[in-house]
Amino acid sequence: MWSKVYTGFGYWDVYTWLIFFAIAAGLVLWLRSLGRKDYKEGTDQDEIFYGGNVVPEEGSEIQVPASSAYWGFTEALKGYYEVLVEMHSGDAREYVGYMVLTASVLAVLVLL
Amino acid sequence: MNWNIHLPALIIAVPLLGAFAAPLAGLGGKVTRNIWFVAVSIATVALSIMLWQHVQAEGVVVYVLGGESWNLTLPSGLSWPIRIILEVDAFSAFMAIVGSIAAMAGAFFSLRFMERFSGLDKFVSLYFLLMAGMLGMELTGDLFNFFVFLEIASVASFGLVAFWRDRPEAVEAGFKYMIVSTVAAMLVLIAVGFFYGRYNAVNMAAVARMMHFGYPEKIALVFLVTALAMKCGAVPMHMWTPDAYTEAPAGVTCLLVAVSQASLYGLFRVCFSLYGASLGSSVVPWTIIVLGVLSMFIGVTMAVIQKEIKRLMAYHSVSQIGYILLGLGVGLLALKDPQAMADYGFTAMKGGIYHLFNYTMYKGLLFLTAGALFYAAGSRNLNDLGGLARVMPHTAFMFVIAAAAIAGLPPFNGFVSKLLIYESTFAVYPVLAIAALVTSVLTLASFVKVFQTAFLGPAKSVFANVREVPATMLVGMSILTVVVIGLTLLPTWSLANLVEPAAKALVDQAGYISAVMGGGL
Repeated sequence: MWSKVYTGFGYWDVYTWLIFFAIAAGLVLWLRSLGRKDYKEGTDQDEIFYGGNVVPEEGSEIQVPASSAYWGFTEALKGYYEVLVEMHSGDAREYVGYMVLTASVLAVLVLL
Repeated sequence: MNWNIHLPALIIAVPLLGAFAAPLAGLGGKVTRNIWFVAVSIATVALSIMLWQHVQAEGVVVYVLGGESWNLTLPSGLSWPIRIILEVDAFSAFMAIVGSIAAMAGAFFSLRFMERFSGLDKFVSLYFLLMAGMLGMELTGDLFNFFVFLEIASVASFGLVAFWRDRPEAVEAGFKYMIVSTVAAMLVLIAVGFFYGRYNAVNMAAVARMMHFGYPEKIALVFLVTALAMKCGAVPMHMWTPDAYTEAPAGVTCLLVAVSQASLYGLFRVCFSLYGASLGSSVVPWTIIVLGVLSMFIGVTMAVIQKEIKRLMAYHSVSQIGYILLGLGVGLLALKDPQAMADYGFTAMKGGIYHLFNYTMYKGLLFLTAGALFYAAGSRNLNDLGGLARVMPHTAFMFVIAAAAIAGLPPFNGFVSKLLIYESTFAVYPVLAIAALVTSVLTLASFVKVFQTAFLGPAKSVFANVREVPATMLVGMSILTVVVIGLTLLPTWSLANLVEPAAKALVDQAGYISAVMGGGL
């Protein structure tokens, strides 16, 4: 039950990793304990540092929306995404069409 | 008499009874219906575990429906089976456990999630019908019976996907799913017709024993592979998946994930147990591998650009199906070469089957967390959500577990199954493993986006009154979380006791045939 998982090319041992994470967590907690002890909760020290500006009260004003995430990635693959999004037309006839196309290609490959 | 022999029939009969008695339970009020909903789900899990233990002890189990005796597979004077036979090997029993756990989690979650809506007696009936269809597909040894259970599952899922019938999107998703599923079902039925015409039999073991790989068998194979690959959501036939998974209530989506695995089970049962070594060339294994790679990559790249949380997760489902297809496709490729099977094929199969279990658990959990967000915050749009980890800490914690598992971060269970797939597929073609690794990186990126936009960030005033979801919904999510953590901490036990017996059963075509046919034909 406690031994390793052999993949044929190496192995995986979850407990070695858990020990590693425990050591890493211990290190993190030790580093944290070296921090300043005179921190005062509920004062200006609690404020978010927002480039020196006043933090907007409404959270949505400072959050990056999901549609803007990975903009560079999608922009770099624009051509790929144009084709892909066009494929996902939402037209049920095309859904069936892709199935018929797959069956046809597979039939040619299997029958020949 | 040992009642364990009736387990294969009971495990289908119990959810069927659950379905037909649900309106009666509903007459007793909400509490009675909820108790019925949960009790039948728990009973099905218990039966599936008992069935798995029975198969571990006895080997392949058969159950003849309507015969003189439960184990008389070949009636007197005949050399081929004529009755419906349930045939349960370690792979079938494994699938029943996976499916029933997901169904139980979805049932617990749905208790409070669905209580705002009407028609809940019908909901519970359809839910249990879907369960019965799924389990029937996984336990039957009869091709026509497989088609019947496929249809039971399909019809129930059309109703459940379109359950929120006041939402045009839900009705549209259900309708589209119905169209593609009906075409697929016709392909399956025609394939079964081919076998019946050729061999005068529809029992899988009997057909496998007599199989000659001629033109009708080839056409039947094409139809079965296409239809079942579509039903499990493989690219390019995956288009129904984002629609259906998004619009179905969250508890149902959790069950739909398990039902799609029943189709995947059917695909591999056909390839390994029905055709097996008679598959001829490596066209079909390579087709499955190519479908797997396409599903992985196209699924994940489509997920990255989504901003609707369930839609994003639905595309990830397509991507994860790709891993399973890849692993089992490589196993199928190595089927005729014992050396290749020993070198990498069996490892790939173990990876694929383990990933199937892992995927069903963490993906079911992810859909439930998405449902919890929708329940609490009233939106599935990631642009609207934000800062919810503060008010929904339990949901956030379980989301992180599931997201780390699906992204294949060590030490989670998703990493172990992906590692087995990476290393074994690398031995076939390194590019396959590279595609799988890239997919994993994009999966992580995608779920970092979800976590950042839904759970992190500053609190939004519109969510000032949002609270953690009710206890039964947390219980539903916790069931899957516990399984994910269990699979993470006990990978060796899981592989040795659940996965390896299933993989061995799948490659043992002779054992599958002889359990029904003995020395007949």
